Amino acid sequence: MNLRAELAIIGRGARMQQRVIGALIIRELGGRFGRYYFGYVWLFIEPMLLGAAIGLLHYWRDRPTAFGPFEFFAIGYILFFVFRGILNRAPSAIPGNQALLYHRHVTLPDIFFARHIIECIACAGVLILMLFGLYVVDGSIPESPIKIAAAMALMALLSQGLAFLWASMSYAVDVAGRFLQAITFLILPIGGLFFLVEWLPVWAQEIMLWIPTVHIFELLRDGQFGSRFRAIYDLYYVAGWIVVTHLLGLAALRITRQRIGLE
Amino acid sequence: MSLELINVHKSYPMISGRKVVLSGANGHISRGEKIGILGRNGSGKSTLVRMFAGVEAPTKGRIKCSMSISWPIGVSAGVKPTLTGEENARFIARLYGRNEKRTVEFVESFAELEEYLRMPIMTYSSGMRSRLSLSISLAVDFDCYLVDEALAVGDTRFGRAFAERIERSGLILVSHSPALVRRLCTRAAVLDQGNLTFYDDLDEALATYNAL
Repeated sequence: MNLRAELAIIGRGARMQQRVIGALIIRELGGRFGRYYFGYVWLFIEPMLLGAAIGLLHYWRDRPTAFGPFEFFAIGYILFFVFRGILNRAPSAIPGNQALLYHRHVTLPDIFFARHIIECIACAGVLILMLFGLYVVDGSIPESPIKIAAAMALMALLSQGLAFLWASMSYAVDVAGRFLQAITFLILPIGGLFFLVEWLPVWAQEIMLWIPTVHIFELLRDGQFGSRFRAIYDLYYVAGWIVVTHLLGLAALRITRQRIGLE
Repeated sequence: MSLELINVHKSYPMISGRKVVLSGANGHISRGEKIGILGRNGSGKSTLVRMFAGVEAPTKGRIKCSMSISWPIGVSAGVKPTLTGEENARFIARLYGRNEKRTVEFVESFAELEEYLRMPIMTYSSGMRSRLSLSISLAVDFDCYLVDEALAVGDTRFGRAFAERIERSGLILVSHSPALVRRLCTRAAVLDQGNLTFYDDLDEALATYNAL
């Protein structure tokens, strides 16, 4: 087969996958919220409400610092919500959608891609809305929107790799899914949402920098107020996590796919 | 264009040992052929259906498929109960790259659902559900329809319309009912204890099956 023919096959495959994911997104949106349009609004309101609540809590409680506590916590929470939203839904992704595999060009990763795209669009929308809101209220502009967007993308990719793995695990062992709720809750205080690495003693910095989300939060804060503190992060480390979790996760999904007994 | 089985083995683990569904099946089904596959309960018909549908892989051997085969008609292949019949039809149309409007129009004219087409599936009776999913699959227009016996192609107006429509395409009907196979198929195979034997003569296949 010559190169052109091979490219044509790849192109056809890509178009088909695009079609499948598009169809899945529309189906997921219609199904997740039932028949009420308020559901679509909830998609945006949930992260916004939680983010704003945490932001306001700190705004009232904290002593004034170099950073607006609302900006620090509310925006940070949106990033955490990407992680939480993708991972908490992972265990239900396969059992809830396996009947779709009867359509032979629907694959397990497609089902995840569709859900993750929805999650990302909702959170990106809220993020933009909040940043715009902050600009209107006190004229603050993030120093590097590119870094904020990059942090968002990295968080989504990391969550996606972990979601592949977690979904496969909880398909094999039912209780694994229940542990996850606890784990995403436990990672909240140490994931990087509530602190800057700079604030920690050196020995604690070294420990915390093993956690990939800490690097991503540092990147976010670098984008928000980079010149006002020393951001400490290593994007190669995060990229390593993303690549490894994707490779392992996709392999796990492949094994899971063979074990799925469709009824 | 055809579906070809090349030395296909299929087994799956049981509490003790493995259950063998196929041990070295060979066969060839051309486009447009109407073939019945007969098997007693528990002989592995449903597994075979899933393998033909391309959603379950053989343990060993190969299934070569160069025509479009439907999902097994009769299973609720991912129909979402909170969505309406129309939305589900649109979903399938998008998935298979078909024109959404034409798909919905076809389902509208074929499924006899009237205003229920715009109601959530969870409000449907089981008859309405199966009419909807059959109509959607006919709208996609496959080379070959894979039909599990669960389907009641009964002697109703819809049943006759379905049989008439399927005349124009290929059919793989997996069933334990010789009468249904005789009515709809021109060739048959018998699945028994891991052996899938194809017969060109329908009567020979039915006689073999009845003697089991």
